[in-house]
Amino acid sequence: MSIFAYDFMRRALVAAVLVGLAAPAIGTFLVQRRLSLMGDGIGHIALTGVALGFLLGTAPVLTAIVVAIVGAIAIELVRERGRASGDVALALLFYGGIAGGVLLIGLSPGGTPGALVGYLFGSLSNVTTSDLAVIVGLGVAVLAIVAVFARELFAVCQDEEVARVSGLPVRFLNILVAVTAAVTVTVAMRVVGLLLVSALMVVPVATTQQLTRSFRTTLLGACALGATASVGGLVMAFYLDVAPGAATVVLALGVFLVFVLLGGARRAVAR
Amino acid sequence: MSVPVFCLTGGQVVLGGRRILDEVDIRVEAGEFVAILGANGSGKTTLVRSLVGLVPLAAGHLELFGTPIGRFRDWARLGYVPQRLAVGGGVPATVGEVVASGRAGRVSRFRRYGADDRRAIAHALEDVGLADRTRDAVTTLSGGQQQRVAIARALAGEPEVLVMDEPTAGVDADSQDTLAGALGHLSNAGGSVVLVAHELGPLAGLIERAVVLSHGHVVSDGPPPQPEGHHADPAHVHGHPHAGEQPQRAGFGLA
Repeated sequence: MSIFAYDFMRRALVAAVLVGLAAPAIGTFLVQRRLSLMGDGIGHIALTGVALGFLLGTAPVLTAIVVAIVGAIAIELVRERGRASGDVALALLFYGGIAGGVLLIGLSPGGTPGALVGYLFGSLSNVTTSDLAVIVGLGVAVLAIVAVFARELFAVCQDEEVARVSGLPVRFLNILVAVTAAVTVTVAMRVVGLLLVSALMVVPVATTQQLTRSFRTTLLGACALGATASVGGLVMAFYLDVAPGAATVVLALGVFLVFVLLGGARRAVAR
Repeated sequence: MSVPVFCLTGGQVVLGGRRILDEVDIRVEAGEFVAILGANGSGKTTLVRSLVGLVPLAAGHLELFGTPIGRFRDWARLGYVPQRLAVGGGVPATVGEVVASGRAGRVSRFRRYGADDRRAIAHALEDVGLADRTRDAVTTLSGGQQQRVAIARALAGEPEVLVMDEPTAGVDADSQDTLAGALGHLSNAGGSVVLVAHELGPLAGLIERAVVLSHGHVVSDGPPPQPEGHHADPAHVHGHPHAGEQPQRAGFGLA
């Protein structure tokens, strides 16, 4: 039976392509400023948002977006303070997000922690038609933001102080990165799940930079790899009946290993 | 008299409860080449950082090109070179990309870089002698070359004044000569330079004026010390590293 014969698979494939492009696009800037775990933090917080949706009887995606954005701005403000305690503050947000999510789902009528599993690891049947519209709209918005602001974001990620002296709106740009990352996390949660979203933001970037010298090539290569991995993961999930998030990330990590070996071989030859 | 590039009066900076600068008056005219000298901990770096708005003044008044810093928006007229080029990011970047980022504040985000931008970037790269390294990753460069990248990034923005924090620290002799050449071009074209220095080295011939700081105060301001063996240089008077711990106000002992 062809994978395209099912409506839900066609929707999931479109979502996977967009998520696969958007997550590494914003992820490149997070990795550049050594905030690889930021996506994870936002994912944990978004879980509270999902559960809040169940509790209030509204669409979990909407509450997740709102809570994730608030959480991402909180993380950014903590980071901006630049104190050692920022590390601990991030950890507190992580735990609070998971605990809050499980607690709220328990309080919601008929809710069990099991209802969250589809959001934690992604689920093929998760993507409804209206979900797809939201994913496409927000995914395109994330890509547009990266395209328009890439030059300024690069300058800020390279050296915040130099960027400030050259007149760039550093604070606005930092919050833009945080909010864009939050939106990406909630968009991607349907496909790869909240716990593995961050992997799709980081692993393709870590993979391409094994072989690249420039920021631009790394970003574009990571997007291509991300889309390939998420579509590949979806196909794997369909035929093997496993969670798509897990399949996507295992696939991405496999490619990472291959690139590490290639990079090592290239350096050995150069020597 | 023309409008000064920087005009700081009664400048005071307090960081972590310690008074780092106090009663600092400094005026830099257009076209001047000024070195800020002084022992470690004398407040040199804090002074240049406050001039470009990275460190807030606790007291005093600062004008950039005649405009109070709070209302100053014409940042493209300034170029700032930090002590070190940040290369610790998690993603590689080429020399060309880093230098090009120096123009990001000048060009609308909805426009691509045009011919003028590319010319300025290429010119900045030539000026620091790195035109042949444009496509290399910055991490593959030596410390001195990375410092030249940071300077080229500032030059790419075609600033009227270049503010540099120890551009020669830990930089090899070749890079220092290239740097002196690039700054000479800027100065000849009417640009101003304010730099923090520990050793003047090849820059000595360019410096028209030296402002010497000690314990956060300006102790001399005038023609630079003659480069006859740099131990004659006031910058080499070894100060007390913890000079700021003199009893100023009680209650700041807790860090």
